[in-house]
Formats: sequence, structure tokens, C-alpha cells
Amino acid sequence: MAKLRLEITKGEEIRYISHLDYASAMERAIIRAKLPVAYSEGFNPHMKISFASALAVGVTSQAEYIDIECKAEIDVNQAVEHLKATLPMGIRIKGAAYMQGNVPALMAIVNLATYEITVPLLAEDIGIIEDSIRWFNEAEAVLYMRESPKGKKEIEIKQYMAKPITLTALEKAVRLILEIRITPTGSIKPGEVLGALVAMFDLPVDIDNLLIHRTGLYISNVNRQVSPVEL
Amino acid sequence: MITLDPAMLNRVIKPARYTGNEWNSIKKDHDTVSVTVALSLPDVYEVGMSNLGLKILYQILNNREDTAAERVYAPWVDMEAEMRERNIPLYTLESLKPVREFDIVGFSLQYEMSYSNVLNMLDLAGIPLFTAERDEHMPIIIGGGPCTFNAEPVADFFDCLVLGEGEEVMEDIIAAVSSWKKAGKINGRSGILKSLAQIGGVYVPSLYDVTYHENGMVAEVLPNCLEAPLIVTKRVVKDLNTVEYATRPIVPFLDIVHDRIMLELFRGCTRGCRFCQAGVLYRPVRERRPELLLKMAKEMVESTGYNEISLTSLSSADYSCLPDLVDSLMGELKEQGVSVSLPSLRIDSFSIDLAQKVQQVRKSGLTFAPEAGSQRMRDVINKGVTQKNLEDAVSAAFQAGWSTVKLYFMMGLPTETDEDVLGIADLAYKVLDLYKEIKGRRGAKVTVSVSCFVPKPHTPFQWFGQDLASEFERKQQLLKARLRDRSITFNWHDARTSFLEGAFARGDRRLGQVLLKAWQNGARFDGWSEYFKYDVWMDAFKTCEIDPYFYATRHRDFDEVMPWDHLSSGASKEFLQREYEQAVTEELTVDCRREHCSACGVCPGLGVEVLDWGSRA
Repeated sequence: MAKLRLEITKGEEIRYISHLDYASAMERAIIRAKLPVAYSEGFNPHMKISFASALAVGVTSQAEYIDIECKAEIDVNQAVEHLKATLPMGIRIKGAAYMQGNVPALMAIVNLATYEITVPLLAEDIGIIEDSIRWFNEAEAVLYMRESPKGKKEIEIKQYMAKPITLTALEKAVRLILEIRITPTGSIKPGEVLGALVAMFDLPVDIDNLLIHRTGLYISNVNRQVSPVEL
Repeated sequence: MITLDPAMLNRVIKPARYTGNEWNSIKKDHDTVSVTVALSLPDVYEVGMSNLGLKILYQILNNREDTAAERVYAPWVDMEAEMRERNIPLYTLESLKPVREFDIVGFSLQYEMSYSNVLNMLDLAGIPLFTAERDEHMPIIIGGGPCTFNAEPVADFFDCLVLGEGEEVMEDIIAAVSSWKKAGKINGRSGILKSLAQIGGVYVPSLYDVTYHENGMVAEVLPNCLEAPLIVTKRVVKDLNTVEYATRPIVPFLDIVHDRIMLELFRGCTRGCRFCQAGVLYRPVRERRPELLLKMAKEMVESTGYNEISLTSLSSADYSCLPDLVDSLMGELKEQGVSVSLPSLRIDSFSIDLAQKVQQVRKSGLTFAPEAGSQRMRDVINKGVTQKNLEDAVSAAFQAGWSTVKLYFMMGLPTETDEDVLGIADLAYKVLDLYKEIKGRRGAKVTVSVSCFVPKPHTPFQWFGQDLASEFERKQQLLKARLRDRSITFNWHDARTSFLEGAFARGDRRLGQVLLKAWQNGARFDGWSEYFKYDVWMDAFKTCEIDPYFYATRHRDFDEVMPWDHLSSGASKEFLQREYEQAVTEELTVDCRREHCSACGVCPGLGVEVLDWGSRA
């Protein structure tokens, strides 16, 4: 068994597909590329692939990671070439490497995600924006009510913020840079952070028109911060 | 090109329905082609994307260098609201161009309950609803699919309707439109309509006038110009081995209804069930060769990456080389993790063996369609299944390890008595008993689904008056009271939906007004129970002073002129009448595929023949 790890994208063309759709698009591309992928045993065999972290509908990414378990270790470049020819629009391969030895699952090791949120401004004065971001960054704790079909749950956001939010002014829009911790007990979605900024810190932006882009997924500790393909 | 706001797409459910870019979708520069076609099925993406006919046409049309074919489906109600609020016109998924800029818009009409969506889509596209209101700058609106064999209720909205199989006729239509455009759209709208009317299988409703008797029945349907033929006869592909197939179908991102490879083994079914419209419309049986099917299957796995192949046909178990085909498919594709499935099973132990072979491991439920509960009733409809066939099939299934069985029936068939209805319950209990006999314990689960019979045009039962909704409901209660066992799940269809379907299935042109009114008052997605607005429809009938019972529940005499008598499936009215008479006397008719001809008229009339490889080997 060889584990092929790829760094791939989810581009604008497929912004609105779900994580499940994204996974099955990869699965079908792998079949088309005829990679020697492994299947689980049992009555209902499934392809042995796994992802680092699910991406929501409406979010693009330049840093998705997938592990593909292969029955044979074919040349990396060759595997990439085959797969490139069968990937749908919006998925590009940025990096590839075989993982040696008994590697832990991507899901278990990735602990930091970085995002860019681009959102149209509803106020002319950039000072108002800067103030509201600063208040958020300086706050000790921010309680956010997560609403899901399962019910409501209060979450403290700041524990997941790895760094203060930074911002860049664009024409009639603003871009926020977020670094979010992924912990064994949970995390916060970038859209939820923006929701809190609008609801509690009066950030004057058109939240309906937000665009979220994941810029990185990392394995981070006090000494270093690396992407899953750099391991 | 339309710009889609993130705010809009962030708000609707399943936004990937509206953004395209799927694998195998084809984007062409419209400046490099002479004809652009928007292919549509007037239902939501997941339904529309599952239609085999449109997949085939997409490939055939895009194979042509002079043509660009794209797709558009009905936006779900949430997306429709967003589009209307933002003045976004209906657009295609490939180029995101407004549908009204296309040369042709083709709707696949699969069921009557999608008619209101056609109007809604035309309106969203900014295209005038009536053919009479459209000039030569507007797209040509074409309908295809089974409903065209009586699309009189939508005749005023369509420029033309295509009867029969689309593979060849669509190419003729493209050629006609292309030369009309090159000649500067000569003679305008009427120029192209008259030229289309001369293509075999193409019905241009505006070139026909309908007159009525005082009692409301149709007197005559006659062409009003020389170009239109007296009778329009369906198109049929002589040999499926020589036409293009959808070997590079689009692979959607989101789950669609039939999310797998569809391998079409053959077209047509001549078992001769007397209620079945498809059995008449798709005659005669024409099989593909097994070696071609194997080649197509391999191509499709390679082009799609799907890991499931469904062997599709009206009655796949009747394919003459089925066991060999299944063996070779499984043999060659198993390595790639590809499984094979049969969508429908014949009621015999042969089918159980096959089902066991293809689903070697997964013991999901088995589905059978006895269609009627009593032997007498099954003889009336020429189902050709005996009580013993059923018991053998179910026993074989239980012995092979299945324990869940789904049974499909209809109620409201001609000559039906309460005893026949209760026969459905008897059959369900018989199945439970068989399981106990074989396994020595209880444990079978039986699902009984009963739909309300809707008589369809071009069938032996086209003269039969549908049961009243109240009668359906009474029979449903009767059956419900009898099906009290916890091992039996009983599902039934909404009688009022079937009533409306019944009115439109055998309706005439006057129903166009009702459809317009109902759509204006909010009818859409009528096939979806949560959006079906019965009262809106009944109000529309009342406002238009049209009686739905006249169409749905009235018995017709054999000499009555039917609104669709000028539209021919190739099967003669004499044949249909003979079959109806034999139904009433419970006489069976054999399958002409492997036994003698029952003189329906299709083969000599259309110059085609049955292609069944098993019978000639």
C-alpha cells in the first residue's frame, strides 16, 4: 500500500458544490485516470480516499489535501499527469508526494486553516471598518450563537482565532485575513466569524455577498508551520 | 453572459444546480456555429439531468461542428424568486447566456404535470408564451418525448412537436433551421414553420385547425396549408446499432435521480400490456448487439468514472442475450469496481437468478410490478403473469436471501370490481405466507404501492373513462382497511393529481387556456406533491368554463374523433379497439417479439422490423 497525498484546489468554477460533491468528483476523476486505487473490503466496497477538512458550499480553496491509497506505487509525475487529464474544471493539482510509513490521517493532523474573506462595503469610511475589527481583535471573548437544524449552541469564537484578523481595503470592498484553529473539540467557520463581526461589532459590510477563499491548511506547532505535503 | 450574484447563490438550496462546469459538459463559442440549441426538461436539475433522451441529443448535436447544444432546467422555487427579484432571465448552464438568444429551445415532455413549468420557463426566459406572439427573432420552441403524441393541451405554446425518436429527426431540424438562417430567415416565422412541417415526424400545431361539435367533442383536425400533412407519423430509428449513443454523458457534481451509467439495451416492448403507452409509442422492439453494448459500457466507464451501470430498457429482462451480456460486463469491469444493476425485474425465477448474480452481495429490496391483484384483472390488462409466476419469483427471491419485496399495482382499471382491488391485499398476504413457509418464521417486509390508473392516448384503454377521484379514494380506504399487518407498508397516489393528469393526458387544445390561467395563479411543479395546488387548477377550469370530467372520466365511443387522431404512433386504431374488446372478454394477446404478429400495423406502416438477436441465433 502506498499513500499518495495531493494538494489540490477548489476553484471559482465549482465554488457552489458541497464537500460530498467534491469528494465524489475526485473519486470519479481517479477512476477515469485509472490510478491503481485501493478499495475497502466488504459488501459495499468504497474507494480508499480521505480529505483533510471539509469545505462548505460557496467556499473556494487553493489548499485542499487528499490522501489516495494505492495498490501499487506508480511514478508520482505519471500519476499527476493522468489525473490532470481527468479532473473537472476548478480542480488543479498543486503538489503531490507519497507519504512514507504509517502516516496519521490528514483529518487528525491538520490544526490550522487560513482564509481570505472578500466582502462589499456598506460604508465609505474605512476607519469604521478598522475600528470594528480592532474591537473584535481586542475582545477577551466573543460568544456566537450557532444555529443548525439540530438546534442552537453558544460558541466562544476567540479561542479558535490563532491570530488577530488583518484587513486590506479594496475598491468598495474589504478583504479580511483569518487564521483559525482546528481543534479536536471543534472550530469555527469563517462565515460565522464574519456573522459575529456584523452582528456584534457593527462591521458595515454586505454579508450576503461574501466570498470565502481558503488559502492554507497547516500542521502548526510552536516550532514550525508546514502544509500536509511538506511533511 | 449572465452574472450570478454570490448573494443569490449563497441563499438558494443546492446552488450547484445553477452553475454548470460539470465533467463532459461542452462549451462552444456561439460565433463559430450556425445553430444554437437549449435542451431542456421542465423540471428541476436532478430530474432533467437523469433523462436519457436529452443525454443522447446533447451528444449528437454537439458532435456537429455547426451546432452548439446547451442545457437549461427549471429553477427550483427559491431560485425562481431570486431570479425574478433581480431580473435575471433564464439562462443555459454552459455559456450562461439567456435562453431567448438561442435559435431553438427544446423541451422534453415526459409527463403532463410538467406543463405549467414549460410556461413558467418561457416566461422566465422573456419569451412570449404563445407561438402566435413570437416573431422570427425569438427561438423556435420544440417539444419532444411521449407527451407529444397528444400535446394538444400545449399546442398553442409550441412551434413544433416531434413525434418519436429524436436521433435522426433532430439533425433534419438543425439542417432546416440552418439553411433558413443562411437565407436571411426567408419568409420569417411562417417560412421556417412550413419547412419544419415537411420533415417526417414533425407536427406544427399552428398549421392545423380544430373544429368541435356542439356537444364539445372534436369534429375535425385539418391542416390549413399544403405543407402540413394530414397525419403526422412518428419517427423511428431502424437500427439502434448504427446511431450515436450518449457515450460521453455529463457527470453532475450533485446527486441526481439516476446517478449512474445508463446502458440502453433495446427500445420498444411488445408484451402488450393494454394500459401501457410506452409499449405502443416505442414499437417495434429493436435490440442493440451485445458486443456493441459491451464496447459502449467500457467507453462510458472510461468517459465518466461512474462505478455503476444500469441496464435500461422498458423491460430489460427481456433482452435476448442478457445472461451473456451480464457475465461479460461483470467479467470485464469488476476489476474497476464497477457494478451492474437491473432497474426492473420480470416476474419469474430467471429474473431472480439474474438479480442474484448482479447484486451478489447487497441484498436490497426487490421490486415487482404485478400491476393488478387478481388473475382476472391481470388478464384484462394482458399482463401475462400468473399467480404461479408470482409465487415462484417471490419464493426464489426468499430462498436467495431477500426479505424485502416491493409490489406495484394500479387501481381503477377497466372492469375492476372491489374483489379485484382486494386481490391486491390477498397477494401481499400470500407473499408474507410464502416467506414463513420457506424460512419457517416471520420477517418479510412487503411494500404495496398502488397508483391511480390514468388512461392514456394511443393505448387500448384510450376510450375508457377514468374512475372519479372519490371512487379512487373509496378503493384506497377499502384496501387500507385490509392491509393492517405491520409487515406491510401501503402507499397510494393522490387521486386528485391523477384526475388532473387524466384530464390533460386526453385533453384537446381548449385546455391551453386552463393551463395558462392555472400558471398565472401560481401553478408550477405540479408533479411535486408539496407544490401541487388542486384548487388553483379547479378554479382555472371554472374560469375558462371547461369541464375537466369531460376529459378525464367520460367514456368515449369507438367512433369518436380523438384530439390526437392526426398524430400516429404507427399502431392502428383498429388494433387498439381490438385489444380493448379482448380486454373486456379477458383474452390474452401474445408478444410479437418472439411469437406471431398481432397486426398493430407499426412494422409495415413505418418500414421497420423487430430486431431480436436471440431469436435469430
